[in-house]
Amino acid sequence: MTAATDAATPRRRRSFKQDRDVEEWHGAYHPYDLIKEGIIAFVVVSLLVVGLAVIFSSPDDTPVTVKSWSTANPVDFATTAITELDGTSGTATYGPPYNSTTGASQSIGPISPESWFGVHHPIDTATDYVLAPLQTLPNTPEVQAAVSEYKSASPTQQAAWTKAYEDAVTKASFDNGKLTVPAGDYGPVATIIAGLTSMARSGALDGALLSTRQFYGADYTKPLLFLADGTYLADLGAAQHLSGDQWGMMNETGNYPGQAWLWLYTMWYQVPPFKTSANADFQVWGLMLVLTVLLALVPFIPGLRSIPRWTRIYRLIWRRHYKDLAAAAPGGTSP
Amino acid sequence: MQTVSAVMAHVLGNIINLTGPGHYVNWGFIQLSVANLVVIGLMVVVFFAAILIPFKRPGGGDR
Repeated sequence: MTAATDAATPRRRRSFKQDRDVEEWHGAYHPYDLIKEGIIAFVVVSLLVVGLAVIFSSPDDTPVTVKSWSTANPVDFATTAITELDGTSGTATYGPPYNSTTGASQSIGPISPESWFGVHHPIDTATDYVLAPLQTLPNTPEVQAAVSEYKSASPTQQAAWTKAYEDAVTKASFDNGKLTVPAGDYGPVATIIAGLTSMARSGALDGALLSTRQFYGADYTKPLLFLADGTYLADLGAAQHLSGDQWGMMNETGNYPGQAWLWLYTMWYQVPPFKTSANADFQVWGLMLVLTVLLALVPFIPGLRSIPRWTRIYRLIWRRHYKDLAAAAPGGTSP
Repeated sequence: MQTVSAVMAHVLGNIINLTGPGHYVNWGFIQLSVANLVVIGLMVVVFFAAILIPFKRPGGGDR
């Protein structure tokens, strides 16, 4: 289309809508030093950050390790270790990304992103948490013989040993540095779990679970999942109001303020149907995604975009301006 | 010397110690730490202060 034909066919003007269109400003303009304001804000915030850090410091709880766990509660450690060996722990049955347990992935209808990405951080709990770490122990012929006996036994025999031990370990006690389990037919399993408990209490298991091919080992996935399978870490978290059903996402240890801005995210976990749903994480994530998109699209959603005009808070902020307009208007009222 | 630096580190790093059992308030299913409540209260105060404190007019006076 040329300029001539464009001029010949005038474009149809859109009707003015106050929530969508902007009136051109015909009033006075004043200079404003944005750089100066930015520098003042930066200095004020910096002084606040340094001052508050000096006054309050920051949360600094002692880290929970496999060593501290097995030292504080060796029976809970042994009870968890046997579930890692027989493959019934939370991690062993988690599904992707750690293993391929059928039906374990969270989903909404046919949508299951966990399954899409598959097992990309494989963890075989019996090998990774129990057998392989024990095989790194030097000068422990009894433990090494027990590991060999267990590995060469049939799956049926292994299951019989671990089932018997799992039933008995709930009645275990720990005295004089030794785990004592009621007598039973556990095969080599009693030696394996006792050996792993000793290894954990010495701190060697923390090192074995962190071992990576990288120079700087910073992958704490394995020890964290092991800790999460027991009740020790969960009890510590619950005591600090950090559990999911305690609005824990927005809390911090001690009396420190936490992540108050996560109130909406964590609120969904406290109400039905998310509170009791096995797919709560994915459902809450999906709901927050929808709400975030709605927030981003507010300027385009009729009704929702009119709320600022209806609430008239802008008139409170610019009250002097509207007062001046009202004073200047013939009838004494502002628009 | 070590004692002085330890005392300075304690004084400068933590004048008010917030470590210890947390305090929480409950309204029905809502559970909120007192620390978060204080921060939310301060944010509300800043919000209303930002609305109510008048802007300076260019060349003097308030807007």
